Parts: sequence; C-alpha cells; structure tokens
Amino acid sequence: MHLVGRLASGDMDAAGELYDRHAGKVLALARRILRDDGDAEDVVQEVFSQAWRTATRYEAGRGTVAGWLLMIARTRAIDRLRARQSRPDTTGEVLLEAMPGTTMAPSDQAIANEQYARVRQGLVALPAEQRTALELAYFEGLSQSEIAERLAAPLGTIKTRIRTALTTLRRSLRP
Amino acid sequence: MTMDRHETIGAMLDEYALGQLSQDERRTVETHVRECDTCAADLRELAVVMEGLAHSLDPVTPPPALKQRVMSSLASQPQEPARTVVEPNAVAIPPKGVKIRRGVHPGWLAAAAVVILGLGVALYSVDATRRLLIDDVQEAQAAVADLQRRLDLNAEQADLAVSILTATDMQPVAMSGKENATGSTARAYWSPARGLLIVANDLPMPPPGRIYQVWVIGGGTPFSAGLLGEQGVGRGMLIAPPPRGVAPGAVTVAVTDEPPGGLPAPSGSIRLAGSL
Repeated sequence: MHLVGRLASGDMDAAGELYDRHAGKVLALARRILRDDGDAEDVVQEVFSQAWRTATRYEAGRGTVAGWLLMIARTRAIDRLRARQSRPDTTGEVLLEAMPGTTMAPSDQAIANEQYARVRQGLVALPAEQRTALELAYFEGLSQSEIAERLAAPLGTIKTRIRTALTTLRRSLRP
Repeated sequence: MTMDRHETIGAMLDEYALGQLSQDERRTVETHVRECDTCAADLRELAVVMEGLAHSLDPVTPPPALKQRVMSSLASQPQEPARTVVEPNAVAIPPKGVKIRRGVHPGWLAAAAVVILGLGVALYSVDATRRLLIDDVQEAQAAVADLQRRLDLNAEQADLAVSILTATDMQPVAMSGKENATGSTARAYWSPARGLLIVANDLPMPPPGRIYQVWVIGGGTPFSAGLLGEQGVGRGMLIAPPPRGVAPGAVTVAVTDEPPGGLPAPSGSIRLAGSL
C-alpha cells in the first residue's frame, strides 16, 4: 500500500518511514524560513502531526508526498514567522490545499525530482537581484510591497524581477 | 469571461502561487482558474516551481531526539475520520446519566481538574486550528466539523472520567515509579464496570522511539488499556473503558515503554506500577 495510505490506517511504522524519508527536507525548509533551530523543530513536529491527522483526506494524484509535506511546512513556518514579527497573516493555504480536485504537480516522484532539479539549477542561474526578490517572497513570505521596502526598490521593479524570475524557472521545466 | 478579466487574473497568478494575495483576491483567482484551462495550466507549472524552490535546499540531518518527539506526539493524536481510529480504546461511548456524588474524594477533584485542564489545552489548539483554516468557507466548514468531533471526543472522555471516578466499584490504585521513573507520581482509578483513569506527573521522556502504554493485569494476564496521552511536559493521562477480558478481582495497573502504536502484550520496562 502507498505510504500515505498506510499512514491513514494508523500505521506507526509508516509514520516512521515517512519521517525518515522527508524530515531532513522539511527541517531544512523550516530552518531556512525561521532561522531558529528550536522553532524549526517545532514546525517539523507540526508538519508530521498534520500529515498524520489528515492522511485520511490526502488525495493521491495531487502531487508528491514530499511536495505535500513541504507545502504544509512552508505555510506553518511562515505563519510562525509572521506571528514572531507581528505581521498580519496574508499567506493562505496555497495551491495544493486551495484547489481541490486539480492536479497541480506530477505525482510521479522520478518526473518530479527531475523537474525540481531543473528549478534548482534555474534558481542558481538567476541574476542575483531576481533571485533575492524571489527568495524573500518564497522563504520569508513577504508581499511584493514588503520586498520593495526591504530592498529599497520601486514596487514595479520588484514585480518585474519576480515575474521574470518565475517565467525563467517555468521555462526551465520544459526540456 | 472577458479577455480583460483573463489578463487581470493572469497577472495575479505569480502572487497567488507565492501566497501573497488577500483572501478575496485568492478566491477571485480560484474561481477564474476553475473555468480557464490556460490559467490552470500556468498555475500547475507555477506549483511545480514552488515545490522546486522548497526542494532547492539541501536536506539537513535532524537531531535524533526530534524523531522520538514527533513519534510520541503522533501516538497520542487522533486521526481525522473515518477509516480508522488509532487506539480502539481511545474512543468510548460513555454511559449516560451519571450523577456526581457528594463528598467527592480530593484525589478525584485533582484528577477532574487535570481532565478539565486537558480540555482547555484541547480547546486552545482547536481555536488555533480554526484560525488557520478559516480563510475559505469550505475549509472553515471542514474545520468546524473537525472541532465538533474533537469537542465531542473530549466531552466523551470527560463523561467517561466522571463515570469512572463516581462508579460504586471504583477503587484508587496507589502507583509508584520504577527504574528511571522513581521520581514520578501517578494516580490511577480503576472501576471494573467503567474503566481506568490514570494521571501521571513528572514522567521522564520515554526512551528514543518508544511511547508509554498502560496495562491492566488481572489473573496474571496483562490487557492493554491504551496509550498514555501526552498532556504537557512530563504529564500523561489515559481515560479508557475497561479492557475486554480482565478477570474479576484484584488487578495491577502498570505503565511500560513500548514501540509507537503499542503492542498486544507488554515487552518493555515497567515504569509505573500499582496493585489493589
């Protein structure tokens, strides 16, 4: 049975396996966002708790398991970051949560991995100012005007940088 | 669908994918994307890019204690409906119409206070969950249903606790710590008719990859009462109906460490034990 299926049936071994496979990635993302080991570990616990509780509602074909866990991790970590900075919460449950019944990403891990590798290479190759703007949006959950303020650049410029960066990364997905 | 609208929404997809939009804007995008194949395809691609960004970090090695912490926390959490319940004894239909007697033993009051405290914690976390999910009507509805279920579950647990504590056949069991848990205190209340309530304090963390399981031993045979739920640092509680098969008469209540999910028969060290 699929790992998440086993998880949904209350299989603790499956939970252990899921953790062994993905905790390193989840922790890396939480640390990158929160820059605090204790908070990041709390997020890891929250992610696997949420996965455990909601495994029964997980829809196969909605993306990879790693993608599912990482999306939960990002939302949780940014919520925490915003609470810490007393910033209003504008980040919602993004994409996979918000679009029931729509396949958003490949479920096949091999295809997904290849695409992730392309995004990674594309990210490294981006001009520094585009990459910085995108990373502030993705890893710190900043809005475009918050990024403009942080980088002391006009809003229009930031919008263009992020748009260009994402267009480049999307293009990198196509062989 | 006008072309203008399509272009307006198309320009919002990046921000949607990055989670930068307000709730209203998100809803607008979602409504459009359900009807527009072009935007749906764009969003799919953006989703892959977002996942790729999450994957762009090198994995780190989590500290070994973290796995233990995660696994123990899972062991005491119910899953959402409805395919399976983790621990068959965790959800019990409480006997109805139980009245609280006068002249309640102080120990019962303390145990009841712990139960109420536990409910407070549960309600607080329910509130936090609600705050996170309320964005979307659909999600809110799911959340409310979830809240209701958890409240029902907690209400059932509280009812069961009261029915155990007030049962005419209830006997307190003096528990004492063993091995590395000699500093722990625990109170257990056993009613052969209603079940077991056990509250442990100052309990050390279980060994790595282990959880605490509670046993009722009658006629020399141990029966699992369930897993000791974590109620805060060092505090554990279980409220469970009587395990099936316990022989009438004197019993021993014991807590052992076991692999996550528990076992049908104890295998680990006894950390807490007490006999009638």
